Amino acid sequence: MKIKIYRRAAQILTVFAIFFIPVLNVFELYFVKGTFISMDIGDAAMADPLAVFQSMIAAGRVNEYMLGSVVIPIVLMLLLGRVWCSWFCPYYLCAEFMSWLRRKLKLKAYKPKYSENIHIRQARVRYIFLFAGLVLMAIAGVPILNLISAPGVISTQAMVIVKFHYVTFELVFVAVLLLLEFFYFRFWCRFFCPTGTFLSFFRSKRGMTVRKVKEDCSNCMSCVRSCPMMINPMTMGESAHCNNCGDCVDACPDNKAQDTLKFTFK
Amino acid sequence: MRNRFTELFEGLLNSNPFKNYYKKNRLRPPGAASEETFMELCIRCARCIEVCPYDSIERADLFEKLQIGTPYIYPENKACYLCMRCMKVCPTGALNPKLTDGKKVRMGIAVINQNTCLNFLYYKDEMLGVSATGTAQLCGTCYNVCPYTDEAIVMEKFILPVVTDKCTGCGICTEKCPATPEKAIAIYPEGMPVDKNTGYFGRRSKVHGRERKKSADALKGEKLLEEKQKIDSSDVKPDFEYNTENYDEQY
Repeated sequence: MKIKIYRRAAQILTVFAIFFIPVLNVFELYFVKGTFISMDIGDAAMADPLAVFQSMIAAGRVNEYMLGSVVIPIVLMLLLGRVWCSWFCPYYLCAEFMSWLRRKLKLKAYKPKYSENIHIRQARVRYIFLFAGLVLMAIAGVPILNLISAPGVISTQAMVIVKFHYVTFELVFVAVLLLLEFFYFRFWCRFFCPTGTFLSFFRSKRGMTVRKVKEDCSNCMSCVRSCPMMINPMTMGESAHCNNCGDCVDACPDNKAQDTLKFTFK
Repeated sequence: MRNRFTELFEGLLNSNPFKNYYKKNRLRPPGAASEETFMELCIRCARCIEVCPYDSIERADLFEKLQIGTPYIYPENKACYLCMRCMKVCPTGALNPKLTDGKKVRMGIAVINQNTCLNFLYYKDEMLGVSATGTAQLCGTCYNVCPYTDEAIVMEKFILPVVTDKCTGCGICTEKCPATPEKAIAIYPEGMPVDKNTGYFGRRSKVHGRERKKSADALKGEKLLEEKQKIDSSDVKPDFEYNTENYDEQY
């Protein structure tokens, strides 16, 4: 059974949930409520760690509600790695849909060639973008990075559609990103997304990571070719870029005979 | 560590004019921190909007500058009914979750416009003995709909509604006020009359309105409120003589 099937099911369930949760709330069922910036199931509150961190530095204070709401995301992050991005984020599903569309339209491949240094360049842009955003945020004194959090915008807009029956202008931001996504392979996730960058700070090597369990393999490089984050899964599973999507595990031909590239816990 | 430069820098960072500005009849949900702190704490997750059973809380859109995505109550459309659900779901404490008593909410204060309030008009007409226009009406809606009747709004002389300091600013009176075309009762959000907090529009009017300030009608904020609250028509006689003898000939 391919990991991709489970992953797709989780993604589609999430997209269903962002429309279904507001519907429940309209009918006054408040068991699950919120958007992807912050949400709670029962009494367990969860919030985007970056959003909470921003309000911490903007307000210059920490209270128990902030700390309580980031516990679950950070524990998940430490245990399972950055699964939020590839398994749940609705924007990632849209970006994958764009690649699928390109394949269906038979346009020529737009994924850049793998090279040793590409992840270094990605990391540089990511951290500079996050840092610049935080500085801008400190000057404005308002958590503005939430306004460019793609999953947050998508789920808030879903809520606005269901509850108030209109769409606000912020949806254009996501539309423009997706349009660019059609021409530049995963550019937002790889180079910019502040939410993903901030989440990757909590990545632990003891959590779930892709590792080569067998010493030697056929070196076909199909895992490298399949990786959407442009890293080498055989050696860099612990890197901050890896979002545990499992595409490389699916692509590995050696896995059929003997476990070679697998998700492991240390 | 604190010196002249850090203070200067702090002032520069904290005095961003787009961060907060106040408008009449536009309130934060109950339990909100002061506007400036609220803008820093609110992460725009929209949970308070989702949980509101009356659809009172609306989401600020792109035209509200940096306020985009934050919750607002427009009491002219739909007032807050003080069900106290929204503050419990706030993940950052921008709405104080410890607040459970509706009486302790202070979103703003209601201000009655005595020139359009039907009861004040009626009282003025009553002083004349008979209705001058034939349209005088008795109302008392604000007194009846107020969740804290006889505490937040009291009837002076059994007819004139007067707002006391127990007003929570929920805005139900504004929503229900029957005066047309403009509601006779408006909510001034908490902190709005303080000059320091006026924000973008306050600053702009300060720059452009220096000369106008000399004139009598340039009263703003707290002074305007004070001046308005001084108006008490209870003992005032109209400054014109009513001609009762020629009444039938005139009308």
